[in-house]
Amino acid sequence: MMNEERREFIKKTALGVLVGLGTVSGIVPAFSLEKTVLPLWDEKPVPGKIRWGMLIDTRKCKEGCQQCAAACHHAHNVPDFRNKKDEIKWIWQNPYQKVFPTASQQFVSKEIQDRSFLALCNHCVDSPCTKACPTEATFKRWDGIVAMDYHRCIGCRFCMAACPYGSRSFNWQDPRTAIHDPVTTYPTREQGVVEKCNFCSDRLVKGQQPACTEACPEQALTFGDLNDPRSDIRQLLETNETMQRKPELGTKPSVFYII
Amino acid sequence: MQWQVLRMEVMMKSRKLLWIVAGTAIILFALLNVFRKGEAETPRAAVAGSVAIDSAKCIASAAFMRANHMQVLYEWRNSSVRTGNRVHIASNGSKFEKSLNTCLGCHSNNRLFCFNCHSYANVKPKCWNCHLSPMETP
Ligand code: SF4
Ligand code: SF4
Repeated sequence: MMNEERREFIKKTALGVLVGLGTVSGIVPAFSLEKTVLPLWDEKPVPGKIRWGMLIDTRKCKEGCQQCAAACHHAHNVPDFRNKKDEIKWIWQNPYQKVFPTASQQFVSKEIQDRSFLALCNHCVDSPCTKACPTEATFKRWDGIVAMDYHRCIGCRFCMAACPYGSRSFNWQDPRTAIHDPVTTYPTREQGVVEKCNFCSDRLVKGQQPACTEACPEQALTFGDLNDPRSDIRQLLETNETMQRKPELGTKPSVFYII
Repeated sequence: MQWQVLRMEVMMKSRKLLWIVAGTAIILFALLNVFRKGEAETPRAAVAGSVAIDSAKCIASAAFMRANHMQVLYEWRNSSVRTGNRVHIASNGSKFEKSLNTCLGCHSNNRLFCFNCHSYANVKPKCWNCHLSPMETP
């Protein structure tokens, strides 16, 4: 069943038929590094064809559960300095007032006030961070993902100032000293660069769901192509009342919430 | 008297020096010869635990890669990170993933691959600040 779901996901997301490494003539690494399962097509991706998005059903989110963040931070070697000042985060939880400070629903029920809400990079369509970056180290990808090219980041932190959601963290120190359980399937970052959620572009090229989506025991997260009217996420968006963070800023976030 | 003693001492010292110089020269010569022999037998510095790599499986010839790997890696990182084109097609039509790990898939057999030449050429690439190096591969 899991396999069926995965297959459908791959089909739906237009990643094409994935081929095993067998067709890759040459080398088959004996260990798992940042390996990609090469899609059958090798031409350049078509810009605008896909727009990845996420829908978070906060009603399903269990209090105290941190499995999504743990899975994400583990999969991407996100350091944990164990103090707030140096904190690096890709996905985290905050109370309603912090996640939706400008929402029109201001006087919400006690139950909602007590709940925590997931926050991550919104992969905005009109992303202020990419406009602020002087080196194009952060840029809009062909599939709607706001990506980081760490090779080019000069650590000016303009993007952090530009992001209205606090989605970005700066590596004040060498992150390698604070990765307690490193994985070999993803690189680390270095001191002096900004990092943030990559919408699991590293897993998408292998035909996998994002780490958080896969880790959630309540299936509270739905990931999919917002440009595909038949995708699960579009179906849910059409049948539920959803909201985005600070929509009035016109950044057009790709992360949606059911409250 | 004193002068004679002094002269004797100086002579003895210089004889000692001569011995030391001659000894060092002989040892150096011997060492050099040993290394030259080693070079003749194995043109590449043999590293403990390293296995010969079938360079026919490489994306290009060893000579080309030795001279141009930086341009190749630069092109790979830009096109895979930025345009999402992750497939390298070699001149013989075979396909490779554009990744440092394509190289390390074989070359991590030699833990000093990368490091040997870089230290000789005194270049300090920053790849390993983030990516796994051949020393760190499992
Ligand atoms: S949430 Fe912030 S970091 Fe993410 S795309 Fe929008 S402005 Fe950029
Ligand atoms: S910190 Fe890096 S990504 Fe952010 S604006 Fe500066 S160069 Fe761009």
